Amino acid sequence: MATAPSLPSRLDFLKDYVLKTYSMKPNRIIIEVDSKYVHKVFELFKERLGFPNFYISTIAGTDFPKENTIRVDYYVVVLPEEQTIVIRTYLPRDEPKIASIIDIVPGALAGECETYDLLGVYFEGNRFLKRAFFVPTDVVEKGIFPLRKDSKV
Amino acid sequence: MTVTKIVEIPLVLEIPIGPQHPALHEPLLLKVYADGEEVVRVDINTGYNHRGVEKLCEKNTFYRDIFIAGRVCGICNTVHANCFVRALERILDLEPSPRAKYLRVLAMELERIHSHMLINAVMAEILGFDTLFMLIMRDREMVMKAKEILTGNRVLADYMIVSGVRRDIDETKRDRLLSILDKVEKRIKYYRKLFEEDATINLRLRDVGVIKDVDASRYALVGPPARGSGIKIDARASDKYDAYDEIPFNVIVRKEGDSWARMMVRWDEALESVSMSRYVLEHLPRDSNAVPDERRLPRRFPPGETFTRAEAPRGELTYYVLSDGKPKPYRVKIRTPSFNNIINGGFAYIGYTIADLPAILVSYDPCISCMERAIVIDLRNNKKMYVSLKDLVVGGRK
Repeated sequence: MATAPSLPSRLDFLKDYVLKTYSMKPNRIIIEVDSKYVHKVFELFKERLGFPNFYISTIAGTDFPKENTIRVDYYVVVLPEEQTIVIRTYLPRDEPKIASIIDIVPGALAGECETYDLLGVYFEGNRFLKRAFFVPTDVVEKGIFPLRKDSKV
Repeated sequence: MTVTKIVEIPLVLEIPIGPQHPALHEPLLLKVYADGEEVVRVDINTGYNHRGVEKLCEKNTFYRDIFIAGRVCGICNTVHANCFVRALERILDLEPSPRAKYLRVLAMELERIHSHMLINAVMAEILGFDTLFMLIMRDREMVMKAKEILTGNRVLADYMIVSGVRRDIDETKRDRLLSILDKVEKRIKYYRKLFEEDATINLRLRDVGVIKDVDASRYALVGPPARGSGIKIDARASDKYDAYDEIPFNVIVRKEGDSWARMMVRWDEALESVSMSRYVLEHLPRDSNAVPDERRLPRRFPPGETFTRAEAPRGELTYYVLSDGKPKPYRVKIRTPSFNNIINGGFAYIGYTIADLPAILVSYDPCISCMERAIVIDLRNNKKMYVSLKDLVVGGRK
């Protein structure tokens, strides 16, 4: 059973926005954040840590139709110790919208485009979002987001 | 004479590169906008080869997914399988034997050597050194043979299994591998010297596609493109998975940030990998069994989630696996290093010439066709026609 780890001292600036923290094997700290503060959290990352002291490794979306949510995880690697921090947030499945962070961290572009194309999470402010970025056009024409659990591909 | 037609040549030419081209290794479209020779903007289009591996993983059992993970990429298949297998081991709370950990490292380091040799060979070809391409590819074959001796196959190894590996080696194979490593090391040292000293290679690669350390982290570049810009990211050194905590090695970092630095990082890493492979073979633990009995492996996966990282030849590779206690994974998220490097790396082409573009692209790891056109506006009918510059030059005569 995962124990609740404390926030690393370098990331104290996030404490006002943390809903809860827990860990994932091996040695990753998950920080749950309200979706409306995700943009602010990354602003703080940039302001307090600055480049080149962190990078966005990936964005992973997961569909939970029973809970009617889509979970979006931002995997941030803090340098130089290369500690992986997960910023986790939940979005309503009917209207999954979240502010884009590419204005702060352009490295999130690939992850945001992929999550939009495969799961239908709309990143507001990202003008590069488009369907058929990865998904074949015949799937796009049917209006399917392939990684949603109820879609049959 | 009245003017009836004017020729409007656009200031910025659009040059699509890909998705199919003899020099391209992956179906990818780079839409390049060039002002004369200078690249001013690059749009990157993907989607020509998305096979839905993540969805496929959700539809198959955990054990079958190991083979699907190994087929995400041909060149780095053992790293993919290793990263996924370690994720399963975290969910199951299993630990492989020390001998298996050493053998896993050996397979992954052999893969790194041949992958780095391959991309350096491709770079030689792009720069016009076709003989050098063939020579490096010839010597790379020795590493493929070594991988065959170890895993049973040249390319797709299917070597990893939960809590171990699928084949062990004996003394005869160990000696053969050591003698191959000696031969390969000499050749890599020679090619490294060539890339360091050859005037043409230096002229084509030095100060081309310079990436600052700040940009490398802002655009989330990983692997040799990041390390060539002075950012020390290496999952082997930080996550210390498998036997990387016991095997001595250096993380190669260069400050230059240009295409040349990225290629040199690869040669130096290949040399590091040779010495790591030799260390593994000389210090292989004898007290444990590397090959587990597959029939006794657990069939039920408890609920849980895990995020594993591995250092593939092209950079940090990550797997996220979520199990809800059923025989199939609920979610598998794969992020390959090229995904970040190629899609986010469009900024590095800007300001360089079209001729530099393939060198920069290959220094990331994938290339080029050209098509030029101008608009002819018929003033009498107010019609626009697109003609190629070649046709314009010959005045429409064939």
